[in-house]
Amino acid sequence: MIALALSLSYIERFIPLQLVVPLPGVKLGLANIVTMIALYMLNTKFAYTILIPRCILGSVFGGGITGLAFSMLGGVMALGVMAAAKRVRWFSVYGVSILGAAAHNIGQILAAMLLMRSVYIGAYLPYLLIISVFTGLMTGIACAGVLRTLPNAFISASPEVRR
Amino acid sequence: MKEKLCFQKGDIAAIAMVVFLAAIVFACFLPGINDMAAFVEVYQGGELIERFPLSEDREFMVTGDYVNTVTIRDGKAAITHSDCPGGDCMHSGWVGASGRSIVCLPNGVEIRIVSDDAEVDFVVG
Repeated sequence: MIALALSLSYIERFIPLQLVVPLPGVKLGLANIVTMIALYMLNTKFAYTILIPRCILGSVFGGGITGLAFSMLGGVMALGVMAAAKRVRWFSVYGVSILGAAAHNIGQILAAMLLMRSVYIGAYLPYLLIISVFTGLMTGIACAGVLRTLPNAFISASPEVRR
Repeated sequence: MKEKLCFQKGDIAAIAMVVFLAAIVFACFLPGINDMAAFVEVYQGGELIERFPLSEDREFMVTGDYVNTVTIRDGKAAITHSDCPGGDCMHSGWVGASGRSIVCLPNGVEIRIVSDDAEVDFVVG
């Protein structure tokens, strides 16, 4: 799963979403699909053990140290929020995914503010948040699709693990 | 489990929360946008390294881990060339309004448009 998340985060570097929305840091968050599936099918701890190596290895493959700070803070915040949102009964996979995407952006902007020592970067946040509704919805659709089609036996066997 | 895979009413609340947050942050940065844009300030690692009037066309380089070429033309500024990975700063396009900025994270560079009475503090909630 780490390998899957890593390859997804690498692939999405080649998707030129920036040409549609010219803002730094805009991406689909494909790797988040894997994190979410881990969160739903296994547990939060497991999701972290996939997320953190993915961030470290991802920076080895081309993000650099600054990239690590961003994906790490963004990813950890996203997972934290998703784990909390998952417990809220009235959020489905979609809601969890959208909140996770938004949290990821907030984490990224915080990392950018710390790195650049400038609050001005926060001016990007509203745009990123609006976009995260759409990207979060898309990864939510993908995630729901996977969870729906994976063997039911596995899902029904997992509640004990999930707790 | 099953109902968790379908879009629920609560998800609309999730979207609303995100949009609401976006609106709040946007409002925080609203003051200053209408001020007359006058200068381009170049920050690297949080320190002001260059300051040019927007009214004069020019092109200059900012060297750090990478090299950014900044162009000022017709009262607007842009990073027109960069050898950083990603090149997000180039995709950011031209900015000319006060309070707007272009960021090149790999190079630790921020190009900021400021009004005449520079040092405006922003409070972010």
